[in-house]
Amino acid sequence: MNILSIDTSADETSCAIMSGQKVLSNVIFSQIVLHQKWGGIFPTIAKRAHEERIDGVVETCLKKANMSMKAIEYVAVTQGPGLAIALEVGIRKAKELAEKYNKKLISVNHLEGHIYSSFVQNSKGNPERAFLFPYLALIVSGGHTELVLFKDHLKYSVIGASIDDASGEALDKGGKLLGLGYPAGPVIEKLASEVKNKEFFSFPRPMLKSKDLHFSFSGLKTSLLYFLKEKGPKATASELRQIASSYQEAVFDTIIQKTIMAIKQTGINRLVVGGGVIANKRLRNLLRKTIKNYGGSVLFPSFSYLTGDNAAMIGIVANFKAERKMFVENIAELDRIPRLYL
Amino acid sequence: MKIIPLNESGLKKSQLVLQNGGVVVFPSDTVYGLLSDATNRNAVMKLQKIKNRPVGKPISVFVADLKMMKRLVRITEKQERTLRALLPGPYTIVLPSKKKVSRLLESEKETLGVRLPVYQPIIDLVTSFRKPVTATSANMSGRPPFYSITTFLKTLSKKNRELIDLVVDAGELSKNKPSTVLDFSTSQVKTIRQGDLHFNLVQTVFTYSEEETRKFANGLLQDQIKKSGDKPIVFILKGEMGVGKTIFAKGIGSALGVSNIISPTYVIYYEYKINHPIINLFIHCDLFNIEEQNEFKYLGLDFYFNKGNVLCFEWGEKAGELIQELKKKAHLIVISFSHHGNNKRRLQIEINI
Repeated sequence: MNILSIDTSADETSCAIMSGQKVLSNVIFSQIVLHQKWGGIFPTIAKRAHEERIDGVVETCLKKANMSMKAIEYVAVTQGPGLAIALEVGIRKAKELAEKYNKKLISVNHLEGHIYSSFVQNSKGNPERAFLFPYLALIVSGGHTELVLFKDHLKYSVIGASIDDASGEALDKGGKLLGLGYPAGPVIEKLASEVKNKEFFSFPRPMLKSKDLHFSFSGLKTSLLYFLKEKGPKATASELRQIASSYQEAVFDTIIQKTIMAIKQTGINRLVVGGGVIANKRLRNLLRKTIKNYGGSVLFPSFSYLTGDNAAMIGIVANFKAERKMFVENIAELDRIPRLYL
Repeated sequence: MKIIPLNESGLKKSQLVLQNGGVVVFPSDTVYGLLSDATNRNAVMKLQKIKNRPVGKPISVFVADLKMMKRLVRITEKQERTLRALLPGPYTIVLPSKKKVSRLLESEKETLGVRLPVYQPIIDLVTSFRKPVTATSANMSGRPPFYSITTFLKTLSKKNRELIDLVVDAGELSKNKPSTVLDFSTSQVKTIRQGDLHFNLVQTVFTYSEEETRKFANGLLQDQIKKSGDKPIVFILKGEMGVGKTIFAKGIGSALGVSNIISPTYVIYYEYKINHPIINLFIHCDLFNIEEQNEFKYLGLDFYFNKGNVLCFEWGEKAGELIQELKKKAHLIVISFSHHGNNKRRLQIEINI
């Protein structure tokens, strides 16, 4: 069962062709590795007008898989959450393909995609990972930080979410305050690793006292701002690595502590993690260590492109939706939902 | 094409090739790179041909020290302090170009990427050459980089064998990741200047907690709905990070029955459908990531400038020219936030009636 999937939720125009959990081809316009990003597309919104590229991306994707639309059974597309005008482009293209070639259409929540991204396989079917429900799913990205009970295929309930900024945003904006440009997440990771991810200054862990599983990172960002104001620019520059490391630890420790609370509350010690922030090695190590203490296991996306926004993760969700015949009933009426919930 | 080992004579020969506008494959702190004289347009064109790199894609340059870097790009005092803490290191620093290198290396935003690596052979070469050299990986565009000359030679095309003048072999490099890019170039957005606006109602309010800011926003909206007539209500929120703009937006949301407002930074704006006798939609917009003036027209916001909609713009400083348009079309409220200690905030409210 071949599925062509499209994701245009933010600044990457992406198309994939999946057969079950296997990626037959995957094209992402705007590249993930930062140095390539500068070399490639600067994410100005002018270029975020995905219209210019969507046709080419779909065409290239088919060509790479050596397929025509004839070999495709279903078309899948991200309905939300995301940037309204960006989502629209993908949806329009998906509708056009579905109608022109008489294919059934499947709509997917971008966050479902992040949850399933650890189960995406390469064209040879690696890695082989069985579904051992239930899981605790952790989504950590630029726009979202959520803890989700992943009970069975396509069955989710959100048990915790950020009430303001997402964790990726907290890192990016913290970096901006440190004068490191934007987005600064990868730079903070690097600077922190140069001082062995130690904690030199103590930043608050927001909402740890609350019994619920919600996150808040906005206050942490403000505390960094006051810390830097007090310290002054000279001392900030000379202790850049120490500050970056301490701040990153505060963000990650909050994630870890809430994850531990979720494990205790649900009794589930199998974790799947998705989203851009999980590209960070320090967070991966902390999660591995944590889950070991609870005798559980943790899954991360196997290929780096799967941490960012991509259509392959949309395609894998669509595969399970197709098995359950969950198709869009009225294609013409499918509309983007910029603030779609799980 | 000649292959020589990395030693003193290797450095001298490399310098000679660079001087004559040639291209050298040379080791670095990360991967094998393609070096050419960054100030020589023909040399850069030759490099692009080898890379098979579309014109218009920027290429960064190696410098010998911060002094050379300052010759090439504009650096503020504050940035220099940060750079002194970071460099030399595995970072590519992007800054506004002073146009001292071939323009082919710059981005379309006229910025240039600069590398000051922890790798003595490069530093020695660039120091004696006394000019910046290109710092791009020796692989073709879109292909993985090389850590050894053996693998490089395996995929080398006949065309490139002729174009590349010299290969300096330092054996297998330690597998360091490519450099991390830091974009220090400033936003090109025209910010709202004092004097762009003439308001007839100005009010100053102090709040002492997040809760108070939220309540104030809630009350202000209730009041302004009555006064807005047949125009959309637009809030422009100005002020630095952490000053409470999102808190204010949450207050606006709560007045409209929306309790799950989250930061829209990543996606620019979120649209909330509202169940209210007068208001239909709440648009929560964050201009933090807006970098260029003309990006506004791609946002599709015009669509929302109608009666019954409430729009709230964080980082409203960047709204620039949009403000003039909004003054005509909207019931406009501009709020400037400032910090006065940990929880105290000053809100200056200007209303365009």
